[in-house]
Amino acid sequence: MSPRPLAGPRLARVLAIVPYVLAHPGTTIAELAERFRVSPREIEQDLELLPMCGLPPYTADRLIDVWVDDEGAVDIRLAEYFERPLRLTPAEGVALVAAARALLAVPGADTDSPLGTAVDKLEAVVGVSGRLAIDVGDAAHLTAIRDAIEAHERVEIDYYSYARDEMTTRRVDPARVFHALGAWYLDAWCHRASGERLFRVDRVQAVRATGETFTPREVVASDDADGALTGLVYHPRPGDRRVTLELGATQAWVADELPLDSRVDGPDGSVRVTLAVSEDAFLERLLLRLGPEAEVVEPVEAAALRTAAARRLLARYGS
Amino acid sequence: MSERLERLINLTATLLATRRPLTLDELADRLEPGYPDDLAARRRQFERDKETLRELGVPITVETTDSFGGEQGYRIRPDDYYLPDPGLDPAERAALHLAVTAVEVGGFDPLDALRKLGGAEGEGAGQAVATFELTPHLGDCFEAVTRRSVLEFSYRDEPRRLEPYGILHRFGHWYVVGRDRDRDAPRAFRIDRLDGPPDLGPRDAFTAPADVDPTDYLSSDPLTYGDDQPVRAHVLIDAARASLVTGALGDDAVVEQRDDGAVVVALDVVNRDAFRAFVLDLLDHAEVLDPPELRAEVVDWLRALAAPGSAG
Repeated sequence: MSPRPLAGPRLARVLAIVPYVLAHPGTTIAELAERFRVSPREIEQDLELLPMCGLPPYTADRLIDVWVDDEGAVDIRLAEYFERPLRLTPAEGVALVAAARALLAVPGADTDSPLGTAVDKLEAVVGVSGRLAIDVGDAAHLTAIRDAIEAHERVEIDYYSYARDEMTTRRVDPARVFHALGAWYLDAWCHRASGERLFRVDRVQAVRATGETFTPREVVASDDADGALTGLVYHPRPGDRRVTLELGATQAWVADELPLDSRVDGPDGSVRVTLAVSEDAFLERLLLRLGPEAEVVEPVEAAALRTAAARRLLARYGS
Repeated sequence: MSERLERLINLTATLLATRRPLTLDELADRLEPGYPDDLAARRRQFERDKETLRELGVPITVETTDSFGGEQGYRIRPDDYYLPDPGLDPAERAALHLAVTAVEVGGFDPLDALRKLGGAEGEGAGQAVATFELTPHLGDCFEAVTRRSVLEFSYRDEPRRLEPYGILHRFGHWYVVGRDRDRDAPRAFRIDRLDGPPDLGPRDAFTAPADVDPTDYLSSDPLTYGDDQPVRAHVLIDAARASLVTGALGDDAVVEQRDDGAVVVALDVVNRDAFRAFVLDLLDHAEVLDPPELRAEVVDWLRALAAPGSAG
């Protein structure tokens, strides 16, 4: 995008307001401001522009006619060519339909609702009826957790921590659930950690009532989704252990899936990566999955961890 | 700025109202505020305006005019420009407003789209319940579905031709699904794994089956992706991870409950790499029982890792 595209958003707004007023003559400036989510002053500025616009040769009968009465009611004439709004761009179409379909896919959503009929109509005009599907999945305890949020009920959960490969039991005050990066997350106050924590709902193994209720906290650092998302992804800290691996072409998926400190691409598709790993269980699984073709460059402790883990697993097989 | 805005509005109006394509000279003669007299500056300004309109999605067509010399002419076909009226009522508009505030789609301002549909009604949602990222090329793939254009792209360095029937979001990724023309088979492609932007062929190049459901094109279980000869495997899962695994695979996968709380699950393996990753991810809480060849594969893999002085 160029640094001077301010004309773009404003033009887009004007091209939406004109058809609306043509279809709803007498709409007031206040109503337009509310509907188009801008200030009344911006609506006025948009309307002031229009009488200079029209068709060649820009004589009085070819220029757009704008009337605003004492109550602020707006009437526009001589702009029939703007009788319909500009079609949705592909990005707008996919985002709108995806948002609606995602909300309808949330377990328990009412598909026989205004949203259901709205998205059907929208898909029909865009030409994708039933062709966009959003799977937000389900999780065994999602409903129980949502009920607890609704009723402000403190619950005890059995939770599996993937990075540490351990099962824990904790009391939590559930604040909200949301879907991101393909999974459901619970944002809760954890009494075990004495802090706000994010939990993956599909790793919650049990939800038990405690009989206690709680007063919802005056939110929570991660109110906006962006803030919440930064909590979902592992963010390496300077003190975390660094591991350097030499990977063949078939193991290069690591570079796509995990945040790397650095990568150096070698000839024939090999790649040398350095990444931060804080938990042993995570590193064990990564190295076991990568297999013998991946070389642990450093540190030697990581190579020892891999050998020990492989022997531990082999013991199960009596080998 | 407002002079440029006026010209952009007038340019759009003129190109929409014209019945025949107009050349740049004709536009320069007519439009106010006008384009510079200097021909190079005029062309530059016009290209800039055209680019701004293109970014907004204004569909300007370029045609060769009938005039002497066959110059390039420009127009906007009303059918390409006008959004057909979806006929939304206020409750439906409010529901859409709620949807786009409850579901955040990264990098997208839903107001731009809502304004075209008659503006934002109602209060919207206070908090997001879901967030999605938009992947590069998703818009292209979506447009190809709407136009029924064949998509040509490179995927893992292989050229592909796909009749795109639909778009699916699953496991946090976007997929375009349809019929692979060269393989004459249903396929799903992760859109963020396309090697570059896809090419869209001409409109209406194929007819999709009437009752397509994009979810049919991609199993909800990643373990089932693959073309290996299917093999039924049994895996013993410790009590400590039994509920975790049955929660992920479903109760139907359980073929045996043991007294100590352990379970045996059955899996139809069509992708041995994915199967091995699944087993190893459970560390020493899982053991492949049979068939012998799959058990041996895991054992050999682990032996190579456990051997003193093995590579690395």
